[in-house]
Amino acid sequence: MDFDLSEELKQYGKKVREFSLKEFSNKVASIYDIQEQYPDELRIKALKEGIIDFSNPWKTMIGIEEMCRVDPGLGISVTVPFFGAEVLMLHGSDHLKEKYLGKVAAGEKIMGLGVTEPGGGSDVAGLKTVARKEGNKYVVNGSKMFITNGTIADFFVMLVRTAHPDDPAKRHRGLSVLVVERNFKGFDSNKLTGKLGVRATNTAELILNNVEVPAENLVGDEGKGFYYIMEFFNISRIFVAAQSIGIAQGVLDRTTDFLKNLEKNGDYVGEERKFKLAEMATRVEASRLLMYKAASFLFNYNPNPTLTSMAKGYASETASFAAETAMEITGQTGLNSEIERFFRDSKIMEIWEGTSEVEKIVISRMILKGDKNE
Amino acid sequence: MNEQAELMRSAAREFAEKYLKDVATKIEREGIGSDIKEKILQQGFLGATLSPDMGGAGLDPLSQRLMLFEFAKVSPSVSAYIFFHNDIVSKVLETRSDKESIRNLLEGKDNYGIYWPGLMEGAKTNSSEKVMERVINSSCNKTIGLFSDGKVYLVEGKNEPVKDFKPLGLRGMGICNFFPEKRVEYGKKEVLEDLLIKSSGDIASIFLGIAEGSLEKTMEYTRVRKTFNEPLKNYEPVAFKMAELESELEIMKYSLFSDEADEVRLLMLKNMSASFSKKATKYALQFHGGYGYLEDFGVEKFYRDSVALSAIIYRPVEDKRFLASKIYGDRSGFL
Repeated sequence: MDFDLSEELKQYGKKVREFSLKEFSNKVASIYDIQEQYPDELRIKALKEGIIDFSNPWKTMIGIEEMCRVDPGLGISVTVPFFGAEVLMLHGSDHLKEKYLGKVAAGEKIMGLGVTEPGGGSDVAGLKTVARKEGNKYVVNGSKMFITNGTIADFFVMLVRTAHPDDPAKRHRGLSVLVVERNFKGFDSNKLTGKLGVRATNTAELILNNVEVPAENLVGDEGKGFYYIMEFFNISRIFVAAQSIGIAQGVLDRTTDFLKNLEKNGDYVGEERKFKLAEMATRVEASRLLMYKAASFLFNYNPNPTLTSMAKGYASETASFAAETAMEITGQTGLNSEIERFFRDSKIMEIWEGTSEVEKIVISRMILKGDKNE
Repeated sequence: MNEQAELMRSAAREFAEKYLKDVATKIEREGIGSDIKEKILQQGFLGATLSPDMGGAGLDPLSQRLMLFEFAKVSPSVSAYIFFHNDIVSKVLETRSDKESIRNLLEGKDNYGIYWPGLMEGAKTNSSEKVMERVINSSCNKTIGLFSDGKVYLVEGKNEPVKDFKPLGLRGMGICNFFPEKRVEYGKKEVLEDLLIKSSGDIASIFLGIAEGSLEKTMEYTRVRKTFNEPLKNYEPVAFKMAELESELEIMKYSLFSDEADEVRLLMLKNMSASFSKKATKYALQFHGGYGYLEDFGVEKFYRDSVALSAIIYRPVEDKRFLASKIYGDRSGFL
């Protein structure tokens, strides 16, 4: 068993960290946070300098962790223009991949994923957005909520209902994925402001009023959308684990510096605070190892949803635990530093891409079904 | 509960309902308005703990706890604003029999900021005598401040908004940079430490008010919000956790609102309520899902405020050491 990353991945992580330290200064991060503004120039710069590398999922994961370690809001913003790309990569036609994904990779376009709706987050199959087939197009009506890149994305990979099964227990059937462009008639979006954290990221509500989508924009097969999205969550949850571990490591770095400074100046530190630091460090390490294990299954084309949910659930709880503990240890110093921003950014980890409760449902269900993680 | 306490509780509750509830989010965004500050003065909430010969109402400790609790349920910022003026500023001025400053406070001529970054273990003051950085209360014209010489001063001066920084909590009070013009010494650091120990019950009241405010909203939300066609409250993880949190809150409130709560019990309550309020507000946000993350829903402010208040007025090392020494009856927990 080897717990070490390859030399290539280590070098890549180092390169991302250097970029992040240079570009994501506290001052820059603070301005985007206060103004709730998306850092588009940083997205383009990261692409140009080869910092964003989606050719290798290990690199994606490590890159996300390193960026979020320096600043979560900016780190997520820079890595999220591809959000939902896996659905297109795995199930989209060559025509759709060429038309849409190439331009995202070139930095010319931004994409988003439209799943959550105002009336339902965890209950994906309960969605109300309907796409009615009319000749060679779909007519879409409904709304989406908490959509990342909502007012800046050029197109969305969107889950809609195309059929109504007779049996309510089988409502996960009849869902399909469409690519919906912002410039389609009847599409509108409203930016959500006043978020607790990750304020540099763009979040919005989408409104779809008789939006006409060409039939060729159907991704994969009609009626299989629910499964595509669940498959996607099994991938994206690894990346949320990476965001979470970046946050936890980031506050651990800063808390360690704080305590080191106290010791250096001959000030009292005390075992209480040292023990808390030890607990933070242990949980960060445990989360990272769990993420690596889940990733090793997923990236070898053998996804293990139990491990993925464990990794995402535990890492996200570790992020908010570490941020809260850092605030406790650093007190008023933390209040006037980046730590308070990390604290605000951390909480969403336990909510998006499956709440902690959803992860526990998945884990317990799989264990009771007899999955032994073999 | 004595009659004065009952009266104070209903007066504070009515005030919060009438003047704060509908503008609670506005207070977070724009600060406590001068109209609200004026009403707080008119109703006698500010300075209420001052003795009658100093112009106050001589409010008893239980009534003060109830008042702060009721305000914190709706607006932790307003509760903290009254707390700082009643428990710290008034007490400092009263100790020195500074009648002129007290009169100015009660007439609304003076509005105080609070500044004690060096009070907790390891925290340093980053200010000079020329500027006090990030004083709590953006509209203050005077400040009670702890300086790097370890002394407490009453400082007169001018304030200036802090650019490119939004405080984590107590946004209704806001922060400013304060430029001292004149300062009068009021004693050593121990003056503030002693006041914070004596205010343990009041601090616990704010923490528990924050917890109750967030849980009340969550009770409402989990009754109406449905997932998989059922209200959230019908699911075990939500219902059981809410029952657990409400139980803890109820037991702590019972102790806090007892006429017989002594100094040690109040200190215990401060310790417990500081960590409880963080736990309760975190679950409140979690059960609101994505909506809890938005300012408009009025839940995230409780989470922020519980953590920010802890950093400002709760001293984890010193308070625990003090409590341990009380329990052992001897100096403890210092190695």
